[in-house]
Amino acid sequence: MSQGSNSDKQDDHRPRINPVLAHLEAIATGIKWLTRKPMTLMYPDMEEKKPEYFRGFIIFNYDKCIGCSLCAQVCPPRAIHMYRVPGDKRIRPGYDAGRCIHCGLCTDICPTDALDVSPVHDEVFEQIESMDFDPVEWHIISKKLVEEHAKRKRKLVITRVDEEVGLRYEPVE
Amino acid sequence: MVLVELAKALHVPVWALRGFLAPLVYPGLVALLGTVLFLIWAERKMAARVQQRVGPYYVSPKLHGALQLIADGARFALQEVIVHVETDRLMFVLGPILTFTFLSLPFTVLPGGPGIYGFRSDFSMVIVYALLTLSPITVILMGWASSNKFAMIGGGREALLTVSGEITLALAILSVAAMYGTLDFVTAVEKQVHTGIIGLVSNPIAALLFFLAMLLLTDRVPFDIVLGEQEIVQGPYTEYSGVLYALTMAIDYAKLYALSIAFTLLFLGGWAPFTTPLLGAISVYIKSLIVLLFSVFLRSVYGRMRLDHAMNFFWARLFPLGFIALALGVFVHVIYA
Amino acid sequence: MIGRELGQREGYRVVELYIGPQHPASGHMRLVVYLDGDIIVRVDPDIGYVHRTMEKLSEIREYVRVISLIERMTIIDSCNITLPFVEAVEKLLGVEAPPRAKYLRTILCEINRISSHLYGLGIGGIFLNHSTMFMWGFGDREVFVHLASLLTGARLTHTYNIFGGVRRDLPQGFRDEFLKAKRYILRKLKDYDKVFFNNPVIRGRLENVGVLPRDKAIAYGVTGPNLRASGVRYDARLLGYAAYSELDFEPVVGKYGDGLERVWVRLREIEMSLDLIEQALKQLPDGPIFHERYAKMVPPAMRKWFEKGRVKLPGGYVRLRPRKGEVFSRGEMGHGEVTYYLVSDGGMMPYRLRIVTPSARNAIMFSILPPGHTLMDLPSIYGSMDYFPPEADR
Repeated sequence: MSQGSNSDKQDDHRPRINPVLAHLEAIATGIKWLTRKPMTLMYPDMEEKKPEYFRGFIIFNYDKCIGCSLCAQVCPPRAIHMYRVPGDKRIRPGYDAGRCIHCGLCTDICPTDALDVSPVHDEVFEQIESMDFDPVEWHIISKKLVEEHAKRKRKLVITRVDEEVGLRYEPVE
Repeated sequence: MVLVELAKALHVPVWALRGFLAPLVYPGLVALLGTVLFLIWAERKMAARVQQRVGPYYVSPKLHGALQLIADGARFALQEVIVHVETDRLMFVLGPILTFTFLSLPFTVLPGGPGIYGFRSDFSMVIVYALLTLSPITVILMGWASSNKFAMIGGGREALLTVSGEITLALAILSVAAMYGTLDFVTAVEKQVHTGIIGLVSNPIAALLFFLAMLLLTDRVPFDIVLGEQEIVQGPYTEYSGVLYALTMAIDYAKLYALSIAFTLLFLGGWAPFTTPLLGAISVYIKSLIVLLFSVFLRSVYGRMRLDHAMNFFWARLFPLGFIALALGVFVHVIYA
Repeated sequence: MIGRELGQREGYRVVELYIGPQHPASGHMRLVVYLDGDIIVRVDPDIGYVHRTMEKLSEIREYVRVISLIERMTIIDSCNITLPFVEAVEKLLGVEAPPRAKYLRTILCEINRISSHLYGLGIGGIFLNHSTMFMWGFGDREVFVHLASLLTGARLTHTYNIFGGVRRDLPQGFRDEFLKAKRYILRKLKDYDKVFFNNPVIRGRLENVGVLPRDKAIAYGVTGPNLRASGVRYDARLLGYAAYSELDFEPVVGKYGDGLERVWVRLREIEMSLDLIEQALKQLPDGPIFHERYAKMVPPAMRKWFEKGRVKLPGGYVRLRPRKGEVFSRGEMGHGEVTYYLVSDGGMMPYRLRIVTPSARNAIMFSILPPGHTLMDLPSIYGSMDYFPPEADR
């Protein structure tokens, strides 16, 4: 327990270090990495193409919905509520994007594929009230976001693991 | 000489023009400001590169973020200076200002090139050393005046480290003085230019001691114990905000700049191989910039050394080494005699 | 002038230092440090700043909704922390995940463990003001976060383990990406050794600092890499949950129990986890990834998703009713051992869910390690512990 008693019985996994050589090695390693490329994704300038089934904004197709309310029941943060829509006999889901944790359980439990995950993950809403959608609004904003996302003018890159610098970003098309 | 003609044209004596230009323009405050702006940017960029990041970028993408420091400076200038109730108001506000004033005084004697100095003295090394050792006193006072426990501990650490660092620095300067047989920067450089042997070659031990003491006195990693962000937030500067905080940041960089010019003059041959004022000044500036860049590069390799280890390192390792450097300096004196 | 006054504590004239919660190196907590000169006399960890009543909240949620709740305790390690809970509920439900699902869980657990260790090493680096270790730890963690996002579709909160299986099958190209990541990180670990582990400055900060002897480590109930660094061969993975019983591994056990040893154990565990993932990928059996009982209940129109490697849940999945009973389960996270004690009254929600997280058990180290050391050793002890306040507070 006493301090310093360990220093004389160093074994292989903690080799004793030569103070001068270790300093030089550390500085040499620093200089080696000074020449490598960064692994940063220059995000607002380029955008990463998300992997398949990336769980972003949940999109809703009103026409496929059968109003079973399973999505509202499974939603962990209660971001989905069922609404009565005028002129519709069934109840339909509405969506509070501010509460959503993007777990994607609602899309898994939906029996008709009315809900699906989308790669949209960085949509900005100006007011907190404007993040709460009733069923019709949700259907419209889903369509709009997916269309806008496909038309984005940012450089699209795909992330690949690289053996030299960790991650690199290859342009798509 | 350009200076003499300029003095004639302006109808002022040459010494007055010298005394004005050297501390205020080059190597003094204007050059200091430009260097600090470049240096902090270069420090952040180099650290970012080693760490596989990009560093400051979006302030001015075309210049790779070089204007980031201007943006930061504007922010500090517009920020409110908070002087909280419990402070010793006078000392709290005067602290950074006084410290920075002390640190801009060495530029009166530090030559920035052949013939570029405020005044020439036979004891310029001693003057620079003495003026640099004034600043820790005000830093300790700042730590006390802040009425903050972290600042108080930081002030204590500054006192402890200054003692050990300055002994080493004094020994390094003494051994160089013994080597060149002078206490004057200009004569020391002229001897190096004359013989063609720079101080780094003739007395490498003194150069190492000077460099390490420089890192310690200016709170560079691995000796940034006074700032010690992870333990004592920002050391003696914890309570400062706004312009005063920017000044406290400038303290260490001003010290580092002055000491690296001294390092260039003593160990890297000053304005060698040139002897004209303009080329000589550029030579001094570039050499000291390289020293500066290397000392800030160490940030990306090291962590912070423990206080007792740093003290042990300086008193038990470097202090005896200082006497060896002094002895070496006395022996090597033959070359420059 | 109040701030400069000295306090009195247990007969000592001491300085009371409040480190946190607004301090660069405190995390979501406060350490009340009593200093005699520069020597720490006593440390009182004041935790609870991010307490979110996880145990109580889980009593008003259906079982499937609890999964994504409890993974918020440690979002950097979300697969490891949900797995014991999922296995506990599976025990009550009487289902067992198919072999392929078990292997996939193991793979994600180990990916999470690597990223958790890299996070801990990075935080440990910045506690010593070693900014390169900080950025390297977080940057290389990004590689494994990317691998996890390929596998699960989310970077951090995967919600990958569900009762009876996992939610996604192994995507194409995952093996190649993993092998590249493995080669990269093994090469990088050598540079970690040069810049951090064998750096004389860092050695000086960590060696013989915060020594936790074996007997004390056992007596105080310390867990995880901190326990193994003190020389105790204890790892909850040895119980053989998920696919660990079929994989060949030997826990990394240290000797000295000081800060450097704790860092060393984490570095070597990264290598071990890489080896485990490679083994699991090699032995990965074919077959379903979701238990047949629930797969059968999925509407026929949705079966097509199973072929695409994505699980669809049946409608009854929300109203799962495990039988009445009590289950105790445990698992090894990056920070240590997590234990769940689940009491079910046969209803749709847990009657009681007691969670003991590794950081909560390791918090005791704040009181027992620093006394006798200098103030500068406090961050190095904190950094070497890999303490995660949101996990401890729950």
